[in-house]
Amino acid sequence: MTLTRLMKRRSPLWIRQAHHERGPLVLSLSKDLFIRRFEYGLQYALALLLAVVVLGPFAWVLSASFQPESAIFKQPPDWLPQPVSLDNYVYVFTGQVPFKTDLSSGLTAGITGDALFIPNSLGNTFIVAASVLVVNLIVGTLTAYTFARERFRGSRLAFNFVLGSRLLPPMAVAIPIYTLLRVLGLLDTRLGLVLVHAAFTLPLTIWVLTLYFRGLPREIEEAALVDGTGRFGALWHVVLPMSAPGLAAVGAFAFLFSYNEFLFAQLILDSIELKTVPVILAAVSVNPDATYTLIAVGVMLAILAPVVLALVFRRYIVSGLVSSLER
Amino acid sequence: MILPGLVLVGVFSVYPLAYAIYVSMHRLLLTRPDQTPFIGLRNFLDVLAASEIRVAALKTAEFALLTVPGVVLLGLGVALLLNQRLRGMWLLRWIILLPWAVPLVAAGVMWRLLVHGNFGALNGLLFQLGMIGSYIPFLSDPVLALFAVAVAQVWREFPLAAILVLAGLQTIPAELHEVAKVDGASALARFLYITLPLLRPSLLVVLVYETMTALAVFDLVYVLTGGGPGNATTLFSWYTYASTFKLLNLGQGAALSLMMAVGLILLIVAYLRLLPSEEERA
Repeated sequence: MTLTRLMKRRSPLWIRQAHHERGPLVLSLSKDLFIRRFEYGLQYALALLLAVVVLGPFAWVLSASFQPESAIFKQPPDWLPQPVSLDNYVYVFTGQVPFKTDLSSGLTAGITGDALFIPNSLGNTFIVAASVLVVNLIVGTLTAYTFARERFRGSRLAFNFVLGSRLLPPMAVAIPIYTLLRVLGLLDTRLGLVLVHAAFTLPLTIWVLTLYFRGLPREIEEAALVDGTGRFGALWHVVLPMSAPGLAAVGAFAFLFSYNEFLFAQLILDSIELKTVPVILAAVSVNPDATYTLIAVGVMLAILAPVVLALVFRRYIVSGLVSSLER
Repeated sequence: MILPGLVLVGVFSVYPLAYAIYVSMHRLLLTRPDQTPFIGLRNFLDVLAASEIRVAALKTAEFALLTVPGVVLLGLGVALLLNQRLRGMWLLRWIILLPWAVPLVAAGVMWRLLVHGNFGALNGLLFQLGMIGSYIPFLSDPVLALFAVAVAQVWREFPLAAILVLAGLQTIPAELHEVAKVDGASALARFLYITLPLLRPSLLVVLVYETMTALAVFDLVYVLTGGGPGNATTLFSWYTYASTFKLLNLGQGAALSLMMAVGLILLIVAYLRLLPSEEERA
């Protein structure tokens, strides 16, 4: 409906375009116009399909999170909540049992105490991810700046080593890292998880920032050096302000990685009050007691921050992605 | 000032690797942590002798063959679409990253809600449209379950591929296409002889990265199928995890991990051999 309306609205423009390119040859014009109209229609249809594929799963989970489980178990299910119910959300935040009528008839308890830890786990995840972000910005900037501006024996080797460490699959180093943290007494601590996440994100940060710093003009820095600010002064007052987009990119990356990471969070954190949101969500989702609509609430709460971050920082994330993987 | 960074990265890469090599040659059962005799390559032999590892390796290869071409081709197609100058296309470029930005665990749970056999939006949709008479148990059928994990993986990964290929597309000078157009080259010919060769570096990067991701997939299996039904979705990472932390045999776990790491690195080296030569030609 909207598609055809769009096409109708745009058709005079195509005629003008076709005229412009081909001149007044009427025969070729009508054929051209037909092809163009078909192409535009096809492209819009594909774009619409793509939007549905990308957003559809989110829409379904959002809808499910506002419903009692019995509504989505109908065949076919209630596509839209009727009425919208906040019961599942209320349960997660207050522990008030949702959909009491539902429960009396069901075989399972319908709820799981794990879900009550979702709000707390969101806080944990923020603390860990923000710490990883800070470590990345400080350590990453210093390391990358040194790589970008100083030549020393073994600098190439060190640089390649940092990059190469990314090639190890996480599962392959999971056990040794687990035992290492046990020896260090860092198991079941946020610090342990932050260190592991930082070690996994730093190579990318260092790589992207080194390229970024190398691309900056040296003249301004040298002027600052002449003025007697010293290396750190030059870095702080000159280089960093010019590198804001690069820093935003690596920062968003490190934060997202840490926020989303599951394997190490699962292995390292044991106390439920320390666990991060992917771990809690996984626990809730494989718990046979939890209703699927309650699980949907878990998903919505878990993805909220990354979704907002991805939408707001989209430009930086894309540029960071592109520069990090093009090597 | 590179020391803190190097130490942090080194401690969590060199030490684990060395430790894994050490442990893999000893018997280390968490149930008997005080007895760790040196047993040479016994762990490797034991692990290789288990029939499960062949199943896991085969399933992983199958999974990679299902997802990697899917991600690369879909990424290429979507990138070509996003590159069109269409009104409102910015909206699509804006939201395209969403599947990739959410936690993999969350993506897995979302797909469980989509393909579940007792409800699931996919079943609901097919039923609503009258295409099926009764719900299909996607996750409890061995073949369909692997497909379900693969579909979730492709949904999660194609935005990344599309963004990278799109970046590659935007570096191709428009003049090339215009000159070819003047010479009478068709759209298909321009795609085959201009776009595709110039995209080769981007496509290879995507190929390498997506192969690594597919072979190491873990979170999705954890929340979507738990390796089941039976061992239908017991992919290599899941197998390593399950056999290590359920059987508590760290020696064999380390042996498995090392074999996986070596396999991946060999594959990456093979890819990288391809990469520079193609770049030179392009």
